[in-house]
Amino acid sequence: MPKPIEASTDDAAEAEKPANAQTIAPRVAPLIVARNVTLQVPVFLPQERQLLSNPLRLVTDLYLGRSKRVYTTLLDNVSVKLMPGERLGLIGANGAGKSTLLKVLTGIYQPSSGTLKINGEATGLFGIALGMLNEATGLENIYMRGLQMGLTLKQIRALIPEVIDFAELEDAIERPLSTYSAGMRLRLTLAVSTMIKPDILLLDEWIGAGDEHFKTKFKQRMLDLVESSRGMVLATHSFNLMKALCTRALVLAEGRVVFSGPVDDAQQFYLENAQLRRRKPRQE
Amino acid sequence: MTARTRSAAPGRARVSRPLNFLFRVFFTFLLRYRRTALGPIWALIGPIVFVGTLGFLYSHIGNRPPTEFLPHIAVGFVTWNLIQSMITGAGSVFHRGRANILQGQLPLDDLVMLEVMTNVVTFLHQCLVIVGVFIIFGTPFTWYSLLSLVGVALIIINGIWVVRLIGLVSARYRDLAEVLPAVMRVVFLATPIIWMQDRGARGSFISAFLTYNPFYHFLELVRSPLLGHPIEPITWIVTISITVLGFVIEGFVTARYARYVPLWV
Repeated sequence: MPKPIEASTDDAAEAEKPANAQTIAPRVAPLIVARNVTLQVPVFLPQERQLLSNPLRLVTDLYLGRSKRVYTTLLDNVSVKLMPGERLGLIGANGAGKSTLLKVLTGIYQPSSGTLKINGEATGLFGIALGMLNEATGLENIYMRGLQMGLTLKQIRALIPEVIDFAELEDAIERPLSTYSAGMRLRLTLAVSTMIKPDILLLDEWIGAGDEHFKTKFKQRMLDLVESSRGMVLATHSFNLMKALCTRALVLAEGRVVFSGPVDDAQQFYLENAQLRRRKPRQE
Repeated sequence: MTARTRSAAPGRARVSRPLNFLFRVFFTFLLRYRRTALGPIWALIGPIVFVGTLGFLYSHIGNRPPTEFLPHIAVGFVTWNLIQSMITGAGSVFHRGRANILQGQLPLDDLVMLEVMTNVVTFLHQCLVIVGVFIIFGTPFTWYSLLSLVGVALIIINGIWVVRLIGLVSARYRDLAEVLPAVMRVVFLATPIIWMQDRGARGSFISAFLTYNPFYHFLELVRSPLLGHPIEPITWIVTISITVLGFVIEGFVTARYARYVPLWV
């Protein structure tokens, strides 16, 4: 499935370029170039307290206890390149740095060292339920979420019929969200979150839920998003999904890239090396 | 460093949409009162009770005629609310927005602008109390009164760097959010809001003290034109230098530390 799309987006990117750019850079510009990205974060640990052995420590700790600061490396020299049309899968155990890498690519975290270059707009579809207002009506929620995405009122108005239709809410759209059933709320949240198509799509686990009918419908919508995006990075534990969608995969372990290549080889590499699947505590 | 990471905070370029923010803030403001019987009037009851009760009480304590003292306390208190809510709110602005920051839903600058504008909308609404007091006591409104709009604008502009700077520092040192309300309570009493300074008593202890109280100067910028008092040159000097200095310091701190905020909160 990925093959034809890859070709078409390549062409599109090529066509957008001015003619003289061809001579300088004959190859297509990559969407994402991360070079030796390292992310170190400070963690504040309370100092060792022996409250039980010495009750007096309670008092001294209260006034004199200082938390100590240790640095933890979440990403260690990670280099990633995403070409137009490429769909990259991230494989790794919990805590290997998949989500952290996605957050760096979205711009939430800035690398402590290394360089990151994004040509386009990388949008992460995480935290999709954030910003839904309980007291507001469904319609008002569409407006507020749209404004949060940076759309104008006019743009939102144009999107509304499609969102209501997709979420199958009909008249309920005029009622406050607090009156919605869990299913209705979920449908609206998913429909609103996917109402604009990201340029570069970042996904931390595939999203989708609901009853069978909606699940199928939403899956198609997600696939449309993937197809219309110029590139995608997907972190998931599902190899089937990754094989169906991704053109290449990275294996992460303890914040490092330990393998990069075709999805099948990455899966084999990951499964053969048992130590990669072990979760290690992050400590320096 | 790169096209995107060069900007100090993630998504800084998106700030140029004031209308977008205004819609969101205004809607959130209305939404808060949707299920209440009185609606946004609730937000006015506090200031009305404060100005009404303390206005008459302190006009007796301070031996001032109510026609002079009530407009004074009304303008002072409402303006103070704006200043105070910006500062104390800034102490928790990034903590409250934690989920949004960590999920990439709202860049830091969006949070700051939403916080400032929320305070402004609340302030504009509370201005109705000032209007009411001025009508009841027949305080004259002249062209000179309009100068107080400049004062309001200056307070709002300063609010941007204050919220950013205090928000950033208290994202790292949470102690600040605890200290701010206590400090602001003292400043409230040390600033002529529920009391009046003697105008013309130059060289007195009070006037020397107030010269070093920046909050007094910002308050004066708004209050003096409305009450028909002249604005002293020192007030202009202090407020404008604080504005410039504030943005310089904040710009430096933001450029250096804003990227750590998602890690701190």
